[in-house]
Amino acid sequence: MDPQGIEMTGLSVVFDTAARRVTAVTDIDQSVPHSSFVSIVGPSGCGKSTLLAVVAGLRKATTGTVSVAGRPVTGPDPKIGVVFQEDSTLPWRTVEENVAFAMEMIGTSKPERRKRTKDAIELVGLAGFEKSYPSQLSGGMRQRVALARTLAVQPEVVLMDEPFAALDQQTRLFLGAEVRQIWARTKQTIMFVTHDISEAILLSQQVWVMSYRPGTIIDVVDIDLPGERDAGVVSTPRFNELHNRIWGSLQAESMRGFQQQEASST
Amino acid sequence: MTRSSTPSTASRTSSSSHPSPSHPPFTAADDLPSESASAHHASPDPPRRGRGWGTAGFSVGATLALIVALTAFAEVGSRAGWWNDHVLPAPSVIFTELGVLLTERQFWIDAQRTGIEVAASIVFGCLLGFAAGLLFWKVPLLGRVFEPYLVSFYAVPLVLFYPVMIVLVGINAMSVIILATIMAAIPMALNTAVGLNQMPPVYLKLARSLRTSPRQTLFAIAIPAAGPFIVAGLRLAVVYALIGTIAMEFTTAQAGLGYRIRYLYEIFDNIGMFAYIVVVLVLSCLLTVALAAVGRVLLRGRNS
Repeated sequence: MDPQGIEMTGLSVVFDTAARRVTAVTDIDQSVPHSSFVSIVGPSGCGKSTLLAVVAGLRKATTGTVSVAGRPVTGPDPKIGVVFQEDSTLPWRTVEENVAFAMEMIGTSKPERRKRTKDAIELVGLAGFEKSYPSQLSGGMRQRVALARTLAVQPEVVLMDEPFAALDQQTRLFLGAEVRQIWARTKQTIMFVTHDISEAILLSQQVWVMSYRPGTIIDVVDIDLPGERDAGVVSTPRFNELHNRIWGSLQAESMRGFQQQEASST
Repeated sequence: MTRSSTPSTASRTSSSSHPSPSHPPFTAADDLPSESASAHHASPDPPRRGRGWGTAGFSVGATLALIVALTAFAEVGSRAGWWNDHVLPAPSVIFTELGVLLTERQFWIDAQRTGIEVAASIVFGCLLGFAAGLLFWKVPLLGRVFEPYLVSFYAVPLVLFYPVMIVLVGINAMSVIILATIMAAIPMALNTAVGLNQMPPVYLKLARSLRTSPRQTLFAIAIPAAGPFIVAGLRLAVVYALIGTIAMEFTTAQAGLGYRIRYLYEIFDNIGMFAYIVVVLVLSCLLTVALAAVGRVLLRGRNS
């Protein structure tokens, strides 16, 4: 049997806030095939990060199941790598110590650690900065460190939760293109959450469009752009068509979300 | 939809001169705007350290110059009779007295007593404060209950409790150590708790996603993350331990530098008193310098 990616069956997440009960995501029946790159776009507050947290085992699903590489997810697992939105580099560790951190925590042997640290640093393009501290790096470089740390563990899947949200648009596109190339080389299964349509198209093989709360997948768009792509692809007509299609599905949802938030805040 | 920004960025990065042989030029180039990082690329450690020692050298130089200037002023003022000898004897006289002191057994007994008291208060105060801070973080309820008291304790001159201490443990080194320990523990506890509570939540998310053990979470993440606050707490703890010790000796003890200063004051031995005061000043300077060095080592890589 082929190796499996991520399987989500009948997934929903309900949580109680002080005011009321919120259905964050509902009726998710999707799968990310092994070695593929899928992005989820949706308006803010649509529960896409919640969905990612469930797949990561950081949050329990209310109903339904998630399995990664054929095994049901029951809790956090180092085999499920997560790259967070916030800067998660540790300021007291150098770049190489940061990259080795996750491996240290899960008990990878020292020689193996050294080798994989070196490989991961080269993969994300940080060679030459091994001895630098995060405080000496730009935000984009710190996210590369976080990515290298995740990749060095050699996880089954990599989940990325708006990892470039804090960066400016240009840096974001370039880093995105680089993630795409890293993916092309490693063939990691990647699930990438973003609110940026361009980023989603540029990176992925498939884009899932999520509705506003309760979040569910309302459109699945296969990205038929050339496999070898860089940030330049954003100026092609096909890119615009895809962008318009996704924006079309998203527009109504964003508006609905906006109105609901307005209503609840008044 | 407008994508006009893209061509300009592409041309900007392709003209970038940053060398990145193993990667397409756009990748490494665009997010390397930080000049310090590029400089660092060429020569990893020396520049940063050089700057660090440069600043340290400057402050040492400035401090020495200031001390020399003040000493000279005191010497001139005292000899010219700008003030009475009883107010402040000439530094040369004080230093001569100090030279004699250093050969006396009594001095070393006092110095040893104070040294042990200060050291014990620092060690116990830091351990106690650190443990309390950790507890306040782990059990937020405890933190909420006790932190306000600690904050107000800060403002209480704890030396006032010396009669209680005397009744409890007698007039000995223990009563000094206990009060100075409490004084040192308070800032340490508050700082540790604040540092741990201010840790970015993403560190704990990272810990969870890697399923770190509680031990790993504590030692590999939480404590280093709170490092700057813990070091600040340490500095305050040392200062408070010294103040507490000297003040306690001053008021209650039968030995120690603080006691000796009061004793010499009471028998009108002005010169001897000032010699002891100089010793205490030197001791506090040494502690400050040692702390700065400890902070430098513990916080290497940050604030640069």
